[in-house]
Amino acid sequence: MNAHTPPASLTVGQPTSEGGMELLLWILIWSEFAVFGAFLVAFLILGLIDPPALAKLHGALDLPLAGAATAILLTSGFFAARAAFGRRPRWNLVAAALGGLGFVALKLVAYSHEIPAITAVESRLVELYFLITGFHLAHVLFVALIMLAIAWRPTPRRTGTIAAIWHAIDLVWLLILPIIYLG
Amino acid sequence: MSSLRDLPLPIVLGALLLATGLGLLASLHLAPLPRGLAIAALSLVKAALLVIGFMRLQQESRVLAGALIGYAALLCALAGLRIALSA
Repeated sequence: MNAHTPPASLTVGQPTSEGGMELLLWILIWSEFAVFGAFLVAFLILGLIDPPALAKLHGALDLPLAGAATAILLTSGFFAARAAFGRRPRWNLVAAALGGLGFVALKLVAYSHEIPAITAVESRLVELYFLITGFHLAHVLFVALIMLAIAWRPTPRRTGTIAAIWHAIDLVWLLILPIIYLG
Repeated sequence: MSSLRDLPLPIVLGALLLATGLGLLASLHLAPLPRGLAIAALSLVKAALLVIGFMRLQQESRVLAGALIGYAALLCALAGLRIALSA
């Protein structure tokens, strides 16, 4: 028997660090979904309770800019997927991160148009709008910066992990769009 | 399932962008009931394309992929219902 091989009784039930990291990743992603899901359901309920405030909010939102931001985020997800599948990971991660930063820039431009009109609406919907979209924006910015850092020295595991988080953030935006913007 | 699993990434991206454009058009031009239905369906298609086409999560775990699509389906259905009720 190899002297470095531990007895079977010691190896049984010991998780590998890779499996532990993957579990941690999915716990993180599902906790994000739980938080965003709660906020989005609250937004839907408040919209049903207060239709005039929802109509005013919709009137103030910049729908074409939201559409452009969605297109940029989806294209960024395309580059993240290419990186995760091993196609020039460094450059595809950089492209994905730049897409994320482009989304942030577009959203800030949208806020600058929307804030004067939206702040005139007296409703909790406005607070929820800024909470949901601002929280999502912070996620996009933070993960885009991490993606740039990973692009410096990409490994398959790091690239796969950051791409999974990026797709989760994309998915949240795809749910924000119909609930907040497309009513 | 295998044909979906092998969808090339550019086709997935094209379908996602098309569905986004259709969703925006639906929100501008349709009456509340068909608008709610169209937006819910298109949003669910986009979520499923992201999970199956970009993440290809079904190759690792069909349960996890199903759970993500189920979560998206619930929120899309609620969004569509709210829009349809705004008539």
